[in-house]
Order: sequence, then structure tokens, then C-alpha cells
Amino acid sequence: MNEHVQDDLEAYALGALDPADAERLAQHLALCASCSNDAASLAEIVGTLPDTVPLREPRPALRDRLLGAATAEARQATPRRSLRWSFGAVRLSRIAFAGLAAAVIVLGAADVDAYRRMVTVAAERDAYNRTLESLREGARLWYMAGKDSFAGSGGTLYEPRADGKQPFVLFHDLPPINEGQVLTIWLVSPDSAWARAATFRPNGQDIQVVQINTEVAGFDRCAVTLDDSPSGKHGTIVMESRIAPPSTAP
Amino acid sequence: MPEQHPPDDALLASLAARDLSALATLYDRYGRLAYSLAYRILGESEAAEDVVQDAFLSAWRGAGSYRRERGNPRAWLLSIVHHRAVDILRRKTTFRPAPLEMAESQPSDEDTALAAEKNVEHRTVRDALEALPQAQRRTIELAYFGGYTHVELSELMGVPLGTVKGRMRIGLQKMRRALERTR
Repeated sequence: MNEHVQDDLEAYALGALDPADAERLAQHLALCASCSNDAASLAEIVGTLPDTVPLREPRPALRDRLLGAATAEARQATPRRSLRWSFGAVRLSRIAFAGLAAAVIVLGAADVDAYRRMVTVAAERDAYNRTLESLREGARLWYMAGKDSFAGSGGTLYEPRADGKQPFVLFHDLPPINEGQVLTIWLVSPDSAWARAATFRPNGQDIQVVQINTEVAGFDRCAVTLDDSPSGKHGTIVMESRIAPPSTAP
Repeated sequence: MPEQHPPDDALLASLAARDLSALATLYDRYGRLAYSLAYRILGESEAAEDVVQDAFLSAWRGAGSYRRERGNPRAWLLSIVHHRAVDILRRKTTFRPAPLEMAESQPSDEDTALAAEKNVEHRTVRDALEALPQAQRRTIELAYFGGYTHVELSELMGVPLGTVKGRMRIGLQKMRRALERTR
């Protein structure tokens, strides 16, 4: 892919690639220091082009509008600490479920299908609890719609506002993937730099929660790729979000 | 360019710490240039203002992800403005690649153009761009300000895709050398 990428770096810097090619190239830049350096150098040159534009004054109201929107957003982002207890409730429900499952197995009261159904229900309940928790705390939600072979599936990235709470993605209806393949969650910055956030395989259940072990603040889109390995070359984009909404959930 | 206080890097660090006054300073520093760029691309004042607001809010939210190796703060901010403006241009349902002459003659204003001429840094960049052979300059301007992809440019200009890429590459190399000579 390197030759192809180097061939397109100037067009990328000028914003002259179509969105799909630009995203593929941005993913490569996230993994390749050499191309990333070349791209940064070109970005500096392209960054001077606005200096060739005749200067115009925006209306003074634009400044107020911008600062008003940022102030409102900052207010909404303040976490509500009084609801910290409910994450504990999620953990407790898991412990209670584990005990119940053990009892069912010991008593021989359920077959494998019943056990699977119970696992699914528990996973859905935990996912629901997590979602409810995040909504109460004013989480930011980013929905990614599946496409092509992933059409009909989707994932919502929840970014809890409260301190110390990990972001996670709640996926639904993930199709099975081939042996050896993995799914990668990417975070995309406003200037289209891609960062790997998590790698996982579908667990076969209707709903699946994947924890994000990196800082989400500062990124404004996310995507999922289907890859042949957990590192190295990226694969096809199977899910992607539009620009994340600035407001918090109600 | 003379160093400004606080420096851009410090402003972005304050932005990441949710300091609203840093956002105000950043806007006062680059809002006019950002608006001029968006207006040059879109040709509409309302749409250009929306892009500027969206881009600064995006920087406000995304300052934590900024990395120096991806360009200086000014280039980073203007790249967000550019991405947003071109995105809107391409999403317009009525958008069709305009004839080359139209895309090249986006609205300008003699007075403000003269004001830009007075800024030494801006004049240097304009000179570097204008010194390019016409085919290279047109290719770079139509790609950056006109929102054309390299494939569209190949069709519009009636040249192979490789020629478009070559013009971009050589044009940007020449601009780099010209700007380095003046610094």
C-alpha cells in the first residue's frame, strides 16, 4: 500500500481525495510514521494557502454565537455526581447473575439453550444498565451505522461525563466474521487522524459491550474496520459515525 | 511571523482544559482568516459563518487530540475549516463541478485584497503561488478552494490522473522551496 499512499499524499493534503480514499489513507497514516511525517510536512505548506485569500470580516455576532455555544456545551458537560451509586448496581447485578448461573448448573435445572438464553438476557440487562447510567450522567452518544455486509448492525459509543468512567461501545446485531479476523474500533480527530481504540471479535450475542481503554475526548467521529489481524494493515470500514453531536443526551 | 502571546500551542492547551477565554483569543486571532477561507470556498456568508462556528467548536472539543507532529495549531485549525467547507460544498445536492473559469474567479474584494497585500507573510505566500506555472497553480487552487477531487480534475482538465498528481506534487515542492528561501 505504501507506493499508493505516497502517490496520494499531496492530494490528501489538499483535501482532493474522495472521502473513502481519504479515510483509508488517514488510517494508514495512523500506523506509518514515515508517511505521517511526509503528510505533516505537506500539511504545513498547504496550511499557508489560506494566506492567499482576500480577507473578509465576519459579522461581529458570530463571535458571540460561538462563545455562547461553547459556554452551553461546557455547562452540559458538568457531571452529576449524585448518581455514582448505579455503576455499583451493575457490578452487583453481575455478581448476582453469576451466582444464579452457578446454581442453575449445579441443580441441573436447565439445558445448554436455557443457559445461553440466560447469558443473553444478562448481557442485555447489563448493557441496558450501563446505557441508563451513562444517559443519567449526561454521556455523549455517537451512533455508527453498519454498512455493506454489516448493514442492519450498529454500535453506539458512550462517552460518560463522570470522572473515572470508561467509555464503551454498545454493539447490536453484529454478524459473524471469519476465523482469524477481528474488528477494530477507531477514533477520528477533527483533522481526520485515526487512533486505534479497541480490537475485538463478535461474541455471537445480539448485544455486545466493548470497553474503550483510551481517552475519547478530542475525537469527533468513530468507525469500525474488519481486519485480518489486530495490528498492521487496516481492512474495510464496516461501520462509521457522522460527526458526533455537540449536545449531551437528555 | 512575529510570535504572539500567548503562543498558539499554549492556547490549545488552555482549550483542552476547557478555558473559554482561550477560545475567544483563538477566535480573535484566526476567526477572520478562517471566515475568509470558508467564504472563498463556499461563496456564501451565512454558510461560511456556520463553518467557522462548527470548526472552532470542533477545535474546542478536539484540542485534547491535537498533536504537534500533525502541523502547527494554525494549520490544524484551518484544516478543520477547510474540511468542513469542502464537505458542505460536496454535499450540496445541486453541486456539480463548475466550469473551471467560475471556480477560479470566486468572489473577491479589491479593498480586502489590498489589505492582504499589505501583510508581508500573506504576500510571500501569494507570490509563491503566483510564481508557479499556470497548470500547477490551477490544479492546486481548484483542488484546495474548488473542492475538486484529483479524479474530477483529471476529467475536467482533460489530462491523465498521473499528470494531476504530478502537478500537485511539483507545485507544492516549488512552493515549499520558495517559502523556505524567504524565511
